[in-house]
Amino acid sequence: MTTNGTESSEREFIKAQEVLLKLQTIVKQQVLGRDNIIELAIISLVADGHILLEDFPGSGKTTLAKALGEAIESEDITTESTIPFRRIQFTPDLLPSDVTGVSIFDTKTDKFHFRHGPLFAHIVLADEINRTSPKVQSAMLEAMGEKQVTVDNTTYVLDELFFVIATQNPLDLVGTYPLPTPQLDRFLFKITMDHIDRAAELEVLDSIDERKRLLSNYDKVNRDDVLKARETIGGQIYISRTIKTALVDISRSLREDDRVLQGNSTRSMVLLLPALQARAALRGRNYVSSEDIENLIPEVLNHRIELVPGVNDFEKVLQDSMERPLDELAKSTLTK
Amino acid sequence: MSWQENSSNYSLKKFWHSIILAGSFWILSISMTTLGGSVAAFSGCALAYYLINSAHTKKAIRLFRTSILLGIYAGIFLLGLAFSEFLVDTKPLAQSLSPIVTYQFGEITRWFTMSFACGLFLRTFAVRQIYGPILEILFVATAFVFTLAAHRNGMIHRPFFIGDFAQIRGIDPSVILLTFGCGAVLTLSALLVLEQSGKRLLYHFSTLIMLCLSLFFYVNLFGLPTPQTTDSMGLTGREAGTNSQNENPFRDGENENSDREAPVAVVVFRDDYEPLNGAYYFRESAYSQFNGIMLDYSNIDGMDPDLIRLFPQDRTETSNPPPGREQHQLTRTTVGMLVPHKNPFGLESPVIYQNRTNPNNLRFKRTYDTYSLAPQYELEYLLNRETGDDGWSEEILAEYLKIPDDDRYKTLAMELLAELKPEFKEDPFAKAWTIKAYLDENGIYSLKNQHAYESDPAASFLFGDLTGYCMHFSFAATYLFRSVGIPARVGIGYSVPAANRSGGSALLVQAIHGHAWPEVYFKGIGWVIIDPAPQQTLVDMTTDPQDTLQQMLGDMLRNEGSFQEFLNSQRKPYFDATTIINTAYLIIIAILTMAYLIKAYRLSAPRLLANDKNGRLRFRAILDRLASIGIHRRLGESRERFALRACSIAPSITRVTEMHLALALGKDKKIGLKEEWQNFESAVKEEIKLNTNWRSKILALLNPFSWLLTK
Repeated sequence: MTTNGTESSEREFIKAQEVLLKLQTIVKQQVLGRDNIIELAIISLVADGHILLEDFPGSGKTTLAKALGEAIESEDITTESTIPFRRIQFTPDLLPSDVTGVSIFDTKTDKFHFRHGPLFAHIVLADEINRTSPKVQSAMLEAMGEKQVTVDNTTYVLDELFFVIATQNPLDLVGTYPLPTPQLDRFLFKITMDHIDRAAELEVLDSIDERKRLLSNYDKVNRDDVLKARETIGGQIYISRTIKTALVDISRSLREDDRVLQGNSTRSMVLLLPALQARAALRGRNYVSSEDIENLIPEVLNHRIELVPGVNDFEKVLQDSMERPLDELAKSTLTK
Repeated sequence: MSWQENSSNYSLKKFWHSIILAGSFWILSISMTTLGGSVAAFSGCALAYYLINSAHTKKAIRLFRTSILLGIYAGIFLLGLAFSEFLVDTKPLAQSLSPIVTYQFGEITRWFTMSFACGLFLRTFAVRQIYGPILEILFVATAFVFTLAAHRNGMIHRPFFIGDFAQIRGIDPSVILLTFGCGAVLTLSALLVLEQSGKRLLYHFSTLIMLCLSLFFYVNLFGLPTPQTTDSMGLTGREAGTNSQNENPFRDGENENSDREAPVAVVVFRDDYEPLNGAYYFRESAYSQFNGIMLDYSNIDGMDPDLIRLFPQDRTETSNPPPGREQHQLTRTTVGMLVPHKNPFGLESPVIYQNRTNPNNLRFKRTYDTYSLAPQYELEYLLNRETGDDGWSEEILAEYLKIPDDDRYKTLAMELLAELKPEFKEDPFAKAWTIKAYLDENGIYSLKNQHAYESDPAASFLFGDLTGYCMHFSFAATYLFRSVGIPARVGIGYSVPAANRSGGSALLVQAIHGHAWPEVYFKGIGWVIIDPAPQQTLVDMTTDPQDTLQQMLGDMLRNEGSFQEFLNSQRKPYFDATTIINTAYLIIIAILTMAYLIKAYRLSAPRLLANDKNGRLRFRAILDRLASIGIHRRLGESRERFALRACSIAPSITRVTEMHLALALGKDKKIGLKEEWQNFESAVKEEIKLNTNWRSKILALLNPFSWLLTK
């Protein structure tokens, strides 16, 4: 029985891995030179988190979100209006109903009929989320946190696979409503993007037609497979207690650091666990390693930590806080 | 903004800075005040530094000009001084708290406010002016120089604990002093390095260079300074000087009592002798010839033949020992001079001088034996005796009776003698004693000297306020004796209270013991000291007991093996070099052996132990191999990252690390195949062999501690 059990779980694990790699391959073909961000996006998708991209216009955010959305197909859509990919351009005059949907009185049936808003999708690209009013932002964030939308006291459940890629422009801040730290906490990763390198940029220009052609021809990933993979990874990737110890120690040492005004929440560590598992799965490991922590912690914490005014080097602060716990972790593999 | 990032570092520097300065105050104060006072000096400066460091950027302080702040500090300084004076001088306070407590309290207040104000001044200057820190450096340098200067040329001086520490352990004190000097240099350098501004650093180093250069030139041009202490009686000085009184002896008293307790010599008694009058007198010389102004060393043949002038080359006997052997006891003493003197001195009255091998050139300037005919008669024995000597010619007797051309001496003397009982009217001793008793009752002993610039200081003293020191008393008494026909002179040398000997055979002579006294020549006995002892005194002439120093110097001078034994007994626990070295060798060898054993064990453990849990021993052995060629995991580095770094030497490490981590962090704790691990280990071994040169290989083999790097 046990052999059967292990065998079937191993099969499931391989399947889950395949799903992730397939997604990664598709998106990589569409978005060039951004392998790291693609990986983070997929990790976030699997870990049931959302990501906030901070970069300038024209850097491939939409392409990334669209590629991810297009790579997923749903066979039996329960809600007729749930489609793979939606994009919302946030503006100051946007209303919550523009995002969530609105009830319309149907004169034929004499009944109110809910028209689904753009949130009813698998992948939602929330462009320039800091440009809209806090009211819309909070509606958006409710949807992100609770996976549901409330209109006229009726609650509409969003799809289980609901993934938001929000963006904001770091430079053009005039007339924006910057997201406060508690709201930023809803995003699993905040990723700051740099320009892609020269070769990748050239490749983008070269392969533009080919990529357009490819987009419709992919062997897509089923929505249910993604959800199944999420479940498998959560259940099978082992997180050793020493790994958890290291995470707690890192948080504590950050909170004790003089240069840190406010440390990270416990929730951030809870959210981090599935992300670590997803990354391990992507790397073909069935356990979480210190390498995963090293790579994911900066993206998870950089919008959750408030530094003392005058201190700017977040990376240095984080490095200092991680040094001891990671050293202990590495040592423990020989001693425990 | 950067200060916030390393603020802890910054405040630590400030902390050390203030500790160094406060330490300098402490060092400066030890030789000048009590323990409480020096602690107060330390804390005062530390407080000042803390205040300025924490407050100088505050707006309220920044508004003040530097000059105003300096004025405030000066005010604090003066207030503190005044308050401590007030504490010491207030009678009710002294009565209620006891004088000692009040004195202590006064010292503490004085030194606290002084160092507090100086600290405020130095720090304010340092933070406000670019050249300000130079003052701090100069201050630290001065504090050390001031304290150490007293010890120059290997002298024993305050603070005694520096020299005593060395003496007791038989170390040359100059080593200790050098250590202190090195400490000073180190603290100065620390002070320099603590400076953050490059511009100021330049100032600092140029100051230091200036200090060194000026020291160099001073020593080259003028030589090292020789000790100049304890010359208050004109006894000490260069030996080769002419034996004439080139300065007014009355002006010497103006040398304040700065070095009163400095040791000048030690005397070891070889025979039992106790003085009958409570003090040991050591005569060095005498003023006997009246030169028209005052008494001086005599240059007439036949006068004072009992004195031994200058230092003879070998054994010398005085040409005129005191008569009356049965009234004197022949006493042998050994004298070790710590400070150069003009003439040898010896227990009254020295008759034989004999050089002696110096047991310690560093300590003693000169060592010699004297045989003295020390007095052993009761004072009554002197009654009914004649003065003068049959061998004296008329001229010599006349010299011993010459006094200034001043009738008041005779008038006063006659007045005093008029009260004598008829049976003693013609007795010289009774006359002399009456005169001494008059000075005892009416004279006031004081080091404050009002008479030095009078043409006849003795007259100014005697017929004036009767306030003066031994020089005045002895000159006045001698003139009075001579005026009534008693041949007298002023003996000079040292007078040490008998109690100072504290039962030992050694006696420490200190600067404060320098003394002058009147002497009268009795027929058949010789020169007899009749020393006025004023009943009123304004000076505290007592000294702290220096029993340890006295005994130590005595042992050193006696040089009869006991001192060496003493030193050896003290040395053993500290400086038995061979034992220490042997122990050190043993410890080193033991440590090395242990290290090699551990190294070998860790490499062979996977083969020796059947149960290699999780292949951990294998992995450790592999890491040990890498560590021995210098590749080891750094602090905070993850195993994967290390593997990435090490794979240029041993590519297999990546895979081994993966296996190890899967076992250590993964869910399944199943052990991999033993062969697989073995293969990896030998693969890493091969790779290391292939990718390192022979030198690293040898080092890898030899290094006993490489396994310590494996983490």
